[in-house]
Amino acid sequence: MLAIREQQSSSDRAQQPISVDLPYPGFQFDLCLRNQYLISKGFKAPIAVKTGTTIAGIVFDGGVVLGADTRATEGEVVADKNCEKIHYLADNMYCCGAGTAADTEKTTDLISSKIRLHSLNTGRQARVQTALRMLKQMLSRYGGYIGAYLVLGGVDCTGAHLYTVHAAGSTDKLPYVSMGSGSLAAMATFETQYKPGMSMEAAKELVSEAIQAGIFNDLGSGSNVDLCVITSRGVDYIRPYKEACSKGVRQGDYSYKQGTTAVLETKVREIKFDVVSVTEHKMEVD
Amino acid sequence: MCSVSQFYSTRGIHDIDDKYKSRPDELEAILPIIPTSSLYTQPFQVPPGHDPATYLTQLAAIPSENGDNVPEIKFDHGTTTLAFKYKNGVIVAVDSRATAGAWIASQTVKKVIEINPYLLGTMAGGAADCSYWERRLARECRLYQLRNKERISVAAASKVLSNFLYYYKGMGLSVGTMICGWDTKGPGLYYVDTDGTRMTHHVFSVGSGSVYAYGVLDAGLKWDLTDEQAYDLGRRSIYHATYRDAYSGGVVNLYHMKETGWIKISQDNVMDLHYKYADEKIAQ
Amino acid sequence: MSILEYNGSAIIAMIGKHCVAIASDKRLGIQAQTISTDFRKVFEVNSGLFLGLPGLATDVSTVERTLQYRLNLLQLRESRLLTPRSFMYMVSSLLYERRFGPYFVEPVIAGLDQESYQPFIATMDLIGCPMEKNDFVVSGTCSEQMYGMCESLWKPNLEPLELFEIISQALLNSVDRDALSGWGGIVHVVEKDRVTTKHLRARMD
Repeated sequence: MLAIREQQSSSDRAQQPISVDLPYPGFQFDLCLRNQYLISKGFKAPIAVKTGTTIAGIVFDGGVVLGADTRATEGEVVADKNCEKIHYLADNMYCCGAGTAADTEKTTDLISSKIRLHSLNTGRQARVQTALRMLKQMLSRYGGYIGAYLVLGGVDCTGAHLYTVHAAGSTDKLPYVSMGSGSLAAMATFETQYKPGMSMEAAKELVSEAIQAGIFNDLGSGSNVDLCVITSRGVDYIRPYKEACSKGVRQGDYSYKQGTTAVLETKVREIKFDVVSVTEHKMEVD
Repeated sequence: MCSVSQFYSTRGIHDIDDKYKSRPDELEAILPIIPTSSLYTQPFQVPPGHDPATYLTQLAAIPSENGDNVPEIKFDHGTTTLAFKYKNGVIVAVDSRATAGAWIASQTVKKVIEINPYLLGTMAGGAADCSYWERRLARECRLYQLRNKERISVAAASKVLSNFLYYYKGMGLSVGTMICGWDTKGPGLYYVDTDGTRMTHHVFSVGSGSVYAYGVLDAGLKWDLTDEQAYDLGRRSIYHATYRDAYSGGVVNLYHMKETGWIKISQDNVMDLHYKYADEKIAQ
Repeated sequence: MSILEYNGSAIIAMIGKHCVAIASDKRLGIQAQTISTDFRKVFEVNSGLFLGLPGLATDVSTVERTLQYRLNLLQLRESRLLTPRSFMYMVSSLLYERRFGPYFVEPVIAGLDQESYQPFIATMDLIGCPMEKNDFVVSGTCSEQMYGMCESLWKPNLEPLELFEIISQALLNSVDRDALSGWGGIVHVVEKDRVTTKHLRARMD
């Protein structure tokens, strides 16, 4: 390798791209073999952050309401008490995510970019149906291994739409939907209380009730209710809509006297700022 | 159920019957109060079935790497304990950490079990197993003393424990102990574990940190150490083990077994020892 | 044992008033055996921007070098410093690229924005799910202990010196209940004009 480099002339070297290691688009599989080997050696595969979620949505008279709880879990640990599960896709549509948190985050990010490009290319606002197609095509290509379970809602020139998307790529179009580990609790609420053609306020209250059913009855869901109301007039993202479980106020106060922690060595370094550019403005004097 | 003789196979214990035969009046007086074998009358509960070991293995087994099923009843295995003989007796030094996986359950475990004034046992493996079986051992030793009007030898005591443990071999007990004492033959030191091993030697170290302790111990061990040198060697060996081994730590408990019985020498936090030794190194 | 626990580590980051702090332990072990008590797992990738990498040591090195390389190259090309949040997304992308064969690290990011001086902390799982917080983040083999300590000790608007005591005690008392991390601690407190680095006197068992 070294010898080959030596033979190259300096002009050759200058023509080589500087960044041979910049990320390739798409997934990298270089560590799969190693990781499989480690698992075969008895090391348990680590767990990723799951949303452990209640997400839901309903269609009402004039739009859709999406709702989500705000708990993220890592095993039995609450990794995030106030995470954002209603993701932006476009100005007229949002997407609630359940399942593997990184997958819901990255999948919705990616589709969001594609929708933006699509609407720039076509010069129109993208339809919810378009986003749905992009999502299910991407997810089905990965055969369910991308653990994103989504509730997609939005309003376009054809009206208000509400879909669920499973990780394997199957989708449903329904007037009221729920997903995640708390979906049964949420669906029970919808089954008893949903009526077609509800008012916006009633719809918001019903989705909030459904999410709270998840928060209180499902261990994987918790904290607050976030809502996102999408109508043809615009989006009302309410975060939080309701704090279902607020933390008690701490009565005591733990504080340490300065010098409690024994220190072996201290270094203080000034942060120096790089002056990126200096522009001199001459006063005009004529 | 096992027979009495299974547990009393050491020479010392067979002697009991002979002695009773020779003094029938005394035997008559004692017998109603003292059962001939406490293990016989109060057996340790094992699962039903003709082969408890196999049954237990099926009940609580995880498949291991090589395909065997190992009983999943595992407790804290992390420990460093050591004992060595020198001219003035036996030094026993142990750490005090109890772990459950990576979780440190306690930093203040007493890993030296004071069986009686002339016998010490150390604790490695399952804490409950060690303390239970060494308590049973203490009882047997006391009974022996009452029957024979003399103290049990270290050899006999360690064999009683070994026989207890061997009877339950393969059922998931976990004990690795050193029985230290002083008897008519002088200082005694035996290693006993749940595999059924029982052996004597002038130096032992048991537990996950034992490799590090042996390193220090072997470098400094001589028969004619002074008491202070011996104490320092024991302490340093445990300290170095706590430094390198994740599953050892807390304090060093140090005991000295003398002709007159054991005395507790010291209890040192290894954090204090670390910075003391570090300062000494700088001073040199 | 999870491979994330193979080498042992503990990292905390906390927000204070116009400052942030990041603390880590110093142990490098191979399961039970302590190899080094001076292992670096917190890196200053930019002035006042820190990256903590608890997890498998081999991946700690790889991820740190790769990120530093990508960051330097990007900053050279753009002639500007990346904000902490942008850097977080850079880390997130690197990890998510390996969604199906991940690096075994769960990074922590802490820094002050170079322009607004807004404190920023974030963490992510091993496949790069970013989680921004406004109080504290923890990651490592004793995360449960660290969650407990931080939930009790942290409060809003901590001054730099208070923040140092709180984060140090949270770290030290957490690792004292974990067999695989500890053996010394290092704390960086980032303020607008300076970074204070302190090595802690800790239990060495």
